[in-house]
Amino acid sequence: MSDIVGWLDDYFWGAMVVLRVFGVSLLMAVLFGLIGSAAKLSKSRIAKSIASGYTVVFRGTPELLVLLIFYFGSAVTLTHIAQIVDPEIQFVDIPPFWAGALAIALVVGAYMTETFRGAFLGVDSGQIEAARALGISNFKTFVYVRIPQMWRLALPNFGNHMLSLMKDTALISVIGLEEIVFVAEIATTVTVKPFTMYAIVAVIYLAITTVITLVVSGLEKYSNRHLERAR
Amino acid sequence: MDEGGQQPVILLEGVSKFFGDFQALKDIDMAVKRGERIVVCGPSGSGKSTMIRCINRLEEHDKGRILVNGHELTGDVKDIDAVRREVGMVFQSFNLFPHLTVVENLMLAPRLVRKTAKPEAREIAMRYLERVQIPEQADKFPSQLSGGQQQRVAIARALCMNPEIMLFDEPTSALDPEMISEVLDVMVDLARDGMTMICVTHEMGFARKVADLVVFMDQGEIVEQNPPAEFFENPRNERTKLFLSQILTH
Amino acid sequence: MSFDIMLIVDSIPKMLVGIGLTLHLLLLSTVIGLILAIITLLMRISGRWYLAWPAMTYIYVFRGTPILVQIFIIYYGLPQFDFIRESFAWPVLRAPFGCAVVALSLNAGAYVSEIMRGGVLGVDRGLHEAGKALGLKVHQRFIYITTPIAIRLAIPAYSNDCISMLKATALASTVTLMDMTGVARTIVAQTFAPYEIFIAAAIIYLVLTWVIQRGFGLFERRMSRYVKQ
Ligand SMILES: Nc1ncnc2c1ncn2[C@@H]1O[C@H](COP(=O)(O)OP(=O)(O)OP(=O)(O)O)[C@@H](O)[C@H]1O
Ligand SMILES: [Mg+2]
Repeated sequence: MSDIVGWLDDYFWGAMVVLRVFGVSLLMAVLFGLIGSAAKLSKSRIAKSIASGYTVVFRGTPELLVLLIFYFGSAVTLTHIAQIVDPEIQFVDIPPFWAGALAIALVVGAYMTETFRGAFLGVDSGQIEAARALGISNFKTFVYVRIPQMWRLALPNFGNHMLSLMKDTALISVIGLEEIVFVAEIATTVTVKPFTMYAIVAVIYLAITTVITLVVSGLEKYSNRHLERAR
Repeated sequence: MDEGGQQPVILLEGVSKFFGDFQALKDIDMAVKRGERIVVCGPSGSGKSTMIRCINRLEEHDKGRILVNGHELTGDVKDIDAVRREVGMVFQSFNLFPHLTVVENLMLAPRLVRKTAKPEAREIAMRYLERVQIPEQADKFPSQLSGGQQQRVAIARALCMNPEIMLFDEPTSALDPEMISEVLDVMVDLARDGMTMICVTHEMGFARKVADLVVFMDQGEIVEQNPPAEFFENPRNERTKLFLSQILTH
Repeated sequence: MSFDIMLIVDSIPKMLVGIGLTLHLLLLSTVIGLILAIITLLMRISGRWYLAWPAMTYIYVFRGTPILVQIFIIYYGLPQFDFIRESFAWPVLRAPFGCAVVALSLNAGAYVSEIMRGGVLGVDRGLHEAGKALGLKVHQRFIYITTPIAIRLAIPAYSNDCISMLKATALASTVTLMDMTGVARTIVAQTFAPYEIFIAAAIIYLVLTWVIQRGFGLFERRMSRYVKQ
């Protein structure tokens, strides 16, 4: 027990790092998802094909590999550039935090692209026509008719993507981010209690994913409240 | 065979059924003799489906006794199996197995339940498909048939088990108007052959033509039961009158 | 700095050294995962709490934690216990390959049982009732009605899960295995050409993904021939 107590603060700060990466890359992923789905639904063939290239590539490549490409790729590039300025420089890299957040955001953003696209198409076009027939402007139709319903349709998948994103943050330890897996690694070398140390990591992840699941299902209930009476 | 049909093949005594606090059946008594044809009608939610579903134990009744062909329905699996073998059922929504062809739909139960050999099961199946006049559809999938054809397949599927009693739960309600008569024709045909039948239906023409008894249910009770002539010409209960006026003006 | 297309082309064959291990991991863990999933599903729908609860706990834990952490717990963590080192399972759990297969299979089992449950729940209740009314027994209804229909309903989700599994095999490289990602990482360490090497690996993964998707697509078409177009 005493082995664990000494490490609790490290786990705590590690967990804070996890949450920060999660927050940052969730924002980016939503952004990529919105851009991607807008491109897929646009009339431009170029935008469409770029977006489908994006989803095919990032949904078909292991997250770890994407991460490695981003981190080591950018490091090599930056080092080259830096050496032009100062030939003495050995190694420059993007902080693992940002390389990692960007990489997993790109992967999850590819999944979100599909979810948002589906949700957008899922809103009954009859309603859009009804709004138009009532003389409501396109913009207002979008804001008051489409968005509220899209959100309801996208929520279940969106929740799953958040869970994937959360779990993907563990990968960033591979490129040296000092989060909880990293803490467990260090703690293991000192205490020689690897099971205990990694089990704590699992428990922390389980706690966070449980909270996400609960929040999402609460939101789902809320967004479906108008359907409650229907059978 | 008990000649004269003295003993009822279906007997319900004081049957009650609850869904939570809601009482869907209130003290139902009913006796059906061999070869009798009963039509059950009543407003939506009156418990018609619940009652006939209790007869083959798709629902469990909470109070009272149900006897079918001498088997009392308790929790005993043997009795339930026996009853289900002797009672065929046709549903409003057909419930054909979508992944099996028409003839496979018909062969499944004889093969699994009666352990009939495949060629013989097929022979039986084809016989009943001919009886419902769609032998040429044998190797199609249900989704490739019209609603009326699907319901006829469903009837044939139930008949393949050679049941002594047939239950129908609004067999024509899900059909387009032009297909209703093809299904009713098959049912009239069955009635003529002396099948014991309980039909939940609002097809009053059918009731007049074949029913020995019309049973009117409302709010979980049997309000009135009479032979069709009496039932239609001379309804006694106010609720029956109201129901008939609503259904017959359309 | 240069970006060398030829290096990508040249390194693809080298990457193929690792493809055997990748496929081996994928195949073993999908098959074991499938068996685990069926057992878990049956436990869950058994209606008995002492079977359903362990199944639900298993699903909850494995779906709520990163696979990487699961692999580390099994590979680094389990040897902490003497009884495991003395058990019959030690030959499997000592080797990184065994650990990766165990972790991936347990993971697949949890996800796939949920996918199957979705399929089972998607089967129309009326079909069960029709089966009951015809006198079919519980197991007969499960085998002849529920299963074939549930399989069709579950194919798209299962196909996605197999792709996730393929991607998850890359994590084996974190416990020293030389799967495709492991090979790529080794070559990068020697050549310092991360773009070319990793992209070459990514291309092979994409091809494998495409093959899986296509295979299941055809399978689904076959299974759906009875559905109205
Ligand atoms: N599984 C169930 N759970 C709860 N309530 C139920 C259930 N099945 C039926 N009920 C209720 O029991 C009552 C009787 O239902 P039932 O289906 O027998 O009516 P019905 O006469 O067949 O009506 P309909 O003409 O609409 O088919 C209804 O109020 C219904 O809401
Ligand atoms: Mg009904």
